[in-house]
Amino acid sequence: MQDEKLLVVKDIHTWFELRRWGFFHAGFVRAVDGVDFEIRRGEAVAIVGESGCGKTTLARTILGLCSPISGEVFFDGKRLEASKMRWYRSQVGYVQQDPYGALPSFMNVHRILEEPIRINGVWRKAEGRKRIRKALEEVKLTPVEEYLPKFPHMLSGGEQQRVVIARAIILKPKLLVADEPVSMLDASVRVEILELLRELQRIHNLAVIYITHDLSTVRYFSERIFIMYGAKLVEKAEVKELLYNPLHPYTKALLAAIPDPDPENVSKFREVPPGEPPSLLNPPPGCRFHPRCHAFINGLCDVEEPPELEPKEMHFVACWLYQ
Amino acid sequence: MGVLRVEDLRLYFKTKKGPVQAVDGVSFELKSRALVIVGESGCGKTSLARAILRLLPRNVHTYTGRVFLNGVDVMELSEERFQQEVRWTKIALVPQAAMNSLNPVIKVGDQVAEPLIMRGMEKENALKRVRDASELVGLPLDFLNRYPFELSGGMRQRAIIAMALAAKPTLIILDEPTSALDVLTQANIMNVLKRIKSEVNFILITHDIAISSELADEAAVMYAGQVVELCKAGDFYNKPLHPYSNKLMASVPTLHGEKKLDFIPGQPPSLINPPKGCRFAPRCSLRFERCKEEPPLVEAEEGHFVKCWLNA
Repeated sequence: MQDEKLLVVKDIHTWFELRRWGFFHAGFVRAVDGVDFEIRRGEAVAIVGESGCGKTTLARTILGLCSPISGEVFFDGKRLEASKMRWYRSQVGYVQQDPYGALPSFMNVHRILEEPIRINGVWRKAEGRKRIRKALEEVKLTPVEEYLPKFPHMLSGGEQQRVVIARAIILKPKLLVADEPVSMLDASVRVEILELLRELQRIHNLAVIYITHDLSTVRYFSERIFIMYGAKLVEKAEVKELLYNPLHPYTKALLAAIPDPDPENVSKFREVPPGEPPSLLNPPPGCRFHPRCHAFINGLCDVEEPPELEPKEMHFVACWLYQ
Repeated sequence: MGVLRVEDLRLYFKTKKGPVQAVDGVSFELKSRALVIVGESGCGKTSLARAILRLLPRNVHTYTGRVFLNGVDVMELSEERFQQEVRWTKIALVPQAAMNSLNPVIKVGDQVAEPLIMRGMEKENALKRVRDASELVGLPLDFLNRYPFELSGGMRQRAIIAMALAAKPTLIILDEPTSALDVLTQANIMNVLKRIKSEVNFILITHDIAISSELADEAAVMYAGQVVELCKAGDFYNKPLHPYSNKLMASVPTLHGEKKLDFIPGQPPSLINPPKGCRFAPRCSLRFERCKEEPPLVEAEEGHFVKCWLNA
């Protein structure tokens, strides 16, 4: 009997040490500071946050590219440790943000896609070729023969991103981590790539972690949204629930700041919380959003960190207002 | 009559493979406070801004057309007079990712005042103007005495906008002013621009249609170096006429409402060898025989210009 949960992240902290002159300890950058969540098989989850909130570090920690200083990651029921990395990496695909930077410029598409399957033990050429063909067909780079000998610079941004996706799914992973997969692409291509990812997710029953700063694309793509602020997840809920009934003051501010194309916008000013996102070197005590929050409770929000509450079923929020 | 009128502006660049037609016969008139120019990357919108301000690279192949500012043809002026009388004094530019182009070793206030001092203003007066402009854009005055690295991205962007405003220009061209900023900072900057809209005219260049609606009185859509649609903002966001504008609108994700997203098949054409006839025809689902000829930009409805045979 397979476990429903594919990925379990338990209270992970990823801190980077800062040193002065190379050896004096000067503090920690707390890029990920106590994050818990679970992802079911075949589920698409979006992690939304502003730049510098730690969302990319969270992705890198999940991928095993950064090691957390405390906390545990379980994948498929097994605890993640160094000896299992090789197996784990064949189970997890990574779609990078900048497709051109992620593809080696001296390799053609065939070699780029061949490498992961060689490393993971498919040595027969015929078998390899079959899998490369299948992967390229799945990301709709057809006719396949035309794309195989091409180098990354000969492809458009959208095609490069498709090659990156093909490389991520060629080992038939169970989980795909996509770090801002469309932020470098044009609006008209963006939708195409997101629909492709959605389709692959359905066909292969893939779990997807979609990391983005753009809340407006999320609803077309995922089932649940996690909102990240100051290295912590502040709200977790299903897409519709979060968009129509946001609970955390930060989520509300974020939703209010995003315009829909509408000529009426010209005469409206948007309400924006004052101040800047917190420094992760010296995060504010208590709730990290309290210096910018309009509903700030003196003596509580600035002293004690809010626990994760569940005011509605399956809707989690870390805010004192809902106690 | 509008503040700015551009007639048949062309800017081609020399390359080994032949001239790149980055701006190909663009005409428009700025009749209202703010015009937005939207288009995908590579459609020539940044080149258009540079062509208006005569900020040209070395490999220019063709640079022709007429640009009228308050009725005066500024293309006739010599480079020195253009520099003294037009560039930055009448038309200011906020270039893309400008906040990263501040000099790291000079204090922000001095940098914001620099274009004024360079044009012969006394330092005292220049600094006073800078303070006024900073207040207008919501940049705290003590920030003027700091170095750029001490400011956040949003504050640096405000400093750049203050720099453009301090010269009291009649027109500011904003090239993707918020594309490198976070959602909340972006909303902040758009609020600032809305506030100063009563003082100055804008041309906003962006690929983000949702953001463009925040400032637009008029809208122009660019595709492959040409303006394909030009109309009032209300018409553009509610009922665009050109098939490209329609598709572009359909590809914009929205937060509320259950819109089905659509995308445009294919890729934007190469500007070295653009398709003959209508440049959008190869990707257009509504193309017909006549699209092999180039359509003119015609007034389909009152004040609504479209470059498409469907409306001709």
